[in-house]
Amino acid sequence: MPNVLRADGITVKFGGVTAVNNVSLSLGSGEILGLIGPNGAGKTTLFNAVTGFAPMHSGRITLLDKDITALPTFKRTRLGFGRTFQTERPFEELTVLENVLIAAFLTVGRRSEAERLAMSVLEQVGLADRAHQPALDLNLARRRRLELAKALAVKPRVIFLDEIMAGLNPPALREMIAFVSSLSAQGLAVLMVEHIMEAIIELSDHVIVLASGEKIAEGTPHQVTSNERVIEAYLGTD
Amino acid sequence: MTKHLIGLGVLLAVGVAYPAIFPNNLTIAISVLLFAGWATSWDLLGGWNGQVSLGHASFVGLGAYFVAIGQSQFGLAPWWTMAMAAAVAAVLAYFWGWLTFSLRGPYFSLSTIAVAEILRLVAINEEWLTGGATGVFIATLPEPFGVDLFSRTAQFYMALAFATVVIATVIVISRARFGYQLRAVREDEDSAMAAGIDPTATKLKAFMLSAALTSIGGGIYGIVLAFIEPHVIFALLLSVQIALTAIIGGRGTIWGPAVGALVLIGAGEMFRTTFAEANMLIYGILILVVVLFVPRGIVGELARRHIRRLYAKRAQG
Repeated sequence: MPNVLRADGITVKFGGVTAVNNVSLSLGSGEILGLIGPNGAGKTTLFNAVTGFAPMHSGRITLLDKDITALPTFKRTRLGFGRTFQTERPFEELTVLENVLIAAFLTVGRRSEAERLAMSVLEQVGLADRAHQPALDLNLARRRRLELAKALAVKPRVIFLDEIMAGLNPPALREMIAFVSSLSAQGLAVLMVEHIMEAIIELSDHVIVLASGEKIAEGTPHQVTSNERVIEAYLGTD
Repeated sequence: MTKHLIGLGVLLAVGVAYPAIFPNNLTIAISVLLFAGWATSWDLLGGWNGQVSLGHASFVGLGAYFVAIGQSQFGLAPWWTMAMAAAVAAVLAYFWGWLTFSLRGPYFSLSTIAVAEILRLVAINEEWLTGGATGVFIATLPEPFGVDLFSRTAQFYMALAFATVVIATVIVISRARFGYQLRAVREDEDSAMAAGIDPTATKLKAFMLSAALTSIGGGIYGIVLAFIEPHVIFALLLSVQIALTAIIGGRGTIWGPAVGALVLIGAGEMFRTTFAEANMLIYGILILVVVLFVPRGIVGELARRHIRRLYAKRAQG
């Protein structure tokens, strides 16, 4: 499968602490890559390094064979990255529609067309009936879906989902799993950081396990969940 | 959109009739209109984009000095010098923003105070050009189509045109891609970047446009004053007044700064004539009341309530 995204030898240091050490990953279109690991393993840091939100110490990132290592976040977005934030970050003073409109304006300059794109994305995530509500008023599950809508409205090739399943009740979780699955079916490459194993096992084509900034295992969901080092990292040894 | 255009129509209609109805109250009306234009320009950066400037007197002063020096020393007509001032203001804003927009928090605001201060010192020391501390005097002005630019009526219409153009600009921007980029950067820079927006470029554009528009109003102010002194025009007080006008009227709203100008300048003038010495006290109390009880500003609060009501209605129905 041709790679949409490649990250080679990503290392992130905060002062003397190595938060991510020499981790590589690659992702093809329609593929879902799950990134798991105990708290503090460096998942979000790796995620931020790839999307450009955290400065890298070393490593190389390519998107569709284009080297984007030196590009700032917003340029990576323009080339095909979409991301959600772990703590949802809607533009609170604006309406739900306007929030998505801002992302839609990336690819569409005209207001009427951008609005049409934003509405179609809101329909996709099931928020169309909330379009004119202030974003501040949404509950958690809907704020999550708004995050998704914002990430999708930039028309990404790769979408980065940072714990979008966390805290959802079972029906909302099922909906979210089905939704992410539909994204990959549309050919989107998905990189997700997730704690909910149910979602990881069901969705991921491939899983990378981080512990203390190192990649300790990778493979299919079944391979990694039966891997001793992974079990050890999660549960500790006797 | 339609209601903003109606608002603009009302402003123009009242404005066009005003000199005939209140021929003796033109000076105060000119002040209100200039402050409406300045505060609205300020708000592009301060309200819509969230970058509070306390140095907009710099751009007022640039406009006024360009017009005054251009006329008195080089015989250049105000419309040319205003255009030049706008260009220079934009360039100044670009360099200032380029230096300071990487600072987050209050540092940008603090640094803007320095701009006006630097310009004031330049104006005082470069006597050959600016007349130094004594200032520049505009003795003659061209008469386009036989209009006497020294007449208060002509100055009123210039101020009206200025305020109208600035407000119209903001109406257009508020609906456009750029307007949403401004708001996105104000609300959350990381989130804005995730939407492909370059925060620094957005702030620079807002600052440049805000500065250029302000300086055009400054040029008109120069004509109105006819006598420009550095400590008056580059005063921190003027910068603060411009910012307060927008904040009290309602930051990030189309009509807020104009309403702020009407309230602050209009009321300020009334207080001055009615209460004499006590007027600054009342001015201060007014500001305190707004900051404490209407933190979004007058129009900001009204707009919010209106949206809430609309939404509540929709949610019920």
